[in-house]
Amino acid sequence: MIREQPTTESAISINHLTVSYGPVPALLDVTVDIPKGKLVGIIGPNGSGKSTLIKAMLGFVKPDLGEVRIFGREAAAAKGMVAYVPQRGAVDWDFPITVREVATMGRYGHRRWWQDMSRRDLQIADQALAKVRMTEFASRQIGQLSGGQQQRVFLARALAQDAEILLLDEPFSGVDAATENAILEVLRETRQQGRTLCVVHHDLSTAAEYFDYLILLKQRMFGFGTPEQILEPQLLCDVYEGNMKVFAELSGTRSAGDRSP
Amino acid sequence: MNSLVEWLTDLQLEQGHLIRPIIVGTLISLVCSVVGCFIVLRRMSFLADAIAHAMLAGVIGGYLIMKIVFGREAHLVGMLAGAILAGILTVALIGFITRVSRIKQDTAIGIMYTGIFGLGALAVSIKSIGGYVHIDITHYIIGNVLAVTNEELWLLAVVSSLVLCSVILFFRPLQITSFDPVMAASIGIPVLAVDYLLTACTSLVVVSGVRVAGVILVVALIITPAASAYLLTDRLNRMVLLSAFIGILGYWLGFGLTIAIGSSPGPTIVVTMTLIFLLILLLAPRYGILADWIRRSSLVPQEVMEDVLGAIVRSTGNVMAIPQVLQAVTAPNRRVQRAIRLLARRNLLECEADQVRLTETGQAEATRLVRAHRLWETYLAQTGEASERIHEKAHQLEHISDQQTVDYLDDKLGHPITDPHGTIIPVDSVQTSGQQDVKASMLRRGNRARIEQILPAANRLGLSVGSEITVLPRSVDGQTWNLKTDRGTAIALNHTEADALIVRPIPTDEDEGDAIPASDVS
Repeated sequence: MIREQPTTESAISINHLTVSYGPVPALLDVTVDIPKGKLVGIIGPNGSGKSTLIKAMLGFVKPDLGEVRIFGREAAAAKGMVAYVPQRGAVDWDFPITVREVATMGRYGHRRWWQDMSRRDLQIADQALAKVRMTEFASRQIGQLSGGQQQRVFLARALAQDAEILLLDEPFSGVDAATENAILEVLRETRQQGRTLCVVHHDLSTAAEYFDYLILLKQRMFGFGTPEQILEPQLLCDVYEGNMKVFAELSGTRSAGDRSP
Repeated sequence: MNSLVEWLTDLQLEQGHLIRPIIVGTLISLVCSVVGCFIVLRRMSFLADAIAHAMLAGVIGGYLIMKIVFGREAHLVGMLAGAILAGILTVALIGFITRVSRIKQDTAIGIMYTGIFGLGALAVSIKSIGGYVHIDITHYIIGNVLAVTNEELWLLAVVSSLVLCSVILFFRPLQITSFDPVMAASIGIPVLAVDYLLTACTSLVVVSGVRVAGVILVVALIITPAASAYLLTDRLNRMVLLSAFIGILGYWLGFGLTIAIGSSPGPTIVVTMTLIFLLILLLAPRYGILADWIRRSSLVPQEVMEDVLGAIVRSTGNVMAIPQVLQAVTAPNRRVQRAIRLLARRNLLECEADQVRLTETGQAEATRLVRAHRLWETYLAQTGEASERIHEKAHQLEHISDQQTVDYLDDKLGHPITDPHGTIIPVDSVQTSGQQDVKASMLRRGNRARIEQILPAANRLGLSVGSEITVLPRSVDGQTWNLKTDRGTAIALNHTEADALIVRPIPTDEDEGDAIPASDVS
């Protein structure tokens, strides 16, 4: 296993994390230190526990063993330091809620339950919408947006949360290339502000270009390091069990250079 | 003023027995429909129904305990507490069963509520216990708001204000836990506690609503107004207000009908609410059936618009009389006319008197469609489709004309110049306009281009990046590309090599792509 010793302060440190839903563990003995201010991709085959890892970082699932620490605090006690962009499939798109209301939801954690949203909160929500270029859709119901726009609304909500850490579950799935670039742009800007971002990602061909570090996961940690260290044919072969399609994609796209901006 | 007081006094004297049910019913409809919004959004309708049924056992349990232990007859608070306990117990049991077994939630609900309802019914049917119970069970089964007592009115007033206050105070937590529980938990909202709060509120409104509609029908008071409101708005706060309004309106209309025709109040009110729902389902401005129907019938299918463009460009070039267009496109005339208007609005064509003319963009779009059509024809001919069906099939398929598909067909067919009928397949005018790099295989006779990149497969040709080429006619089989370099040497390339040569076309004054005679490949 490849481990990079982080020289900077670690934002998320996970120690011997084991999570199970029944007899088979979703995560087994995951240990990793994610340094602050980096854009980190979480890759691995389907059902490899990527979403579970995100939920554990949010303190939403109870580990059987081990712990997740957010800047030294237990995940369950680090409320509000972590923002979350759910997978598109996990959202009820018929819910009676508008784009601006979703963005404003990002401010809920900053007010007590009996307090109203202040004008400042609404301002921050609107700024977040402007940042992802969704201002003109602010009063639309969220089901009336395209896939990429929907993704951007939830990104705006995460930005409005003003959290130190952003977790994104497959933000690039089902969006067109232009939206993918727009989202990536915002993610990079957010990293520039010293925030830490963890992104569940399934497209190996773009992983090297997008991320500073990669976590290779299949129940267990198969590696954490720079893309050059992780995107090793031998390592990927172990994890993807020789699924050749993955490698064809990887080498094919690299040589044609389609994706480079 | 005086007459109003008189009227009210008269009303009190003559219709006193009606005022109490109106106040009670209004309160109940209000809280039921408000809580109902969250139940509908969380897909908990069946669970609310279960709580309603289970409370019968709770009422009887509460009655018996109060009577046996404290000797109090028909103690209201005792029965209320029993009902709420039974509701919460049912929810807990359902959760337990789904957690420990492979039984899914809907089945678990079905099992538990019939079981607990049955337990209540069984208890009163035993003579020794039934003799103890001096309450009219039918009041609980179909409800009777006319028989409501003053004591109950006060109890319901307290319950209603409790529930309303909770919903108003905890509106944001209720909203976010219904919409995105994971995010709610991540910002420190106690999701489980909010769930319990909603369950408790549901039990309370169910217990209240039973007075109006009985355990069997009470769920209608909760979900029908909420579902109606859900069809009318896109905001939760408005949905809650609308739902309350619809609930109260439904109650008043239903209650009026009850008095007018002398029917049983519970069923009448529920039927009224259902009718209101159906009316809204039909007429709702955005999510109604009628609106959907109007939207769909005024929508001009993309195919009709494409057929109009295709018909014009295929006729005499780019002008066509409107009657001819109507004749050429197989669709209802009104629809074709609407398609023409829409195309004009999109600047794809111009209407002059009774004829239409393609604009420049319209022409490009039409050419693109013709290209797709003729490539599909070529493809169909190659896959062995019977020749008399080729045109018709390609006519359906040409609507699949996205860039990737057309590029794929073009490449697979070896970038053909003519279709099976011998007519020219137009070039991709966007890709070969000189704005972007293309494969040399896409060029036609007479095109000039500058070499931008040479992929390994074209290495043996000895060409260099930056030099210019002129395209000569393809060889007899159509699969050998002939180029002339700027130094005058002629080179022959196969398909793979032509694909491996990335070039930037140099625009020429006249568009030669379309002007190549069919004999080019004969």
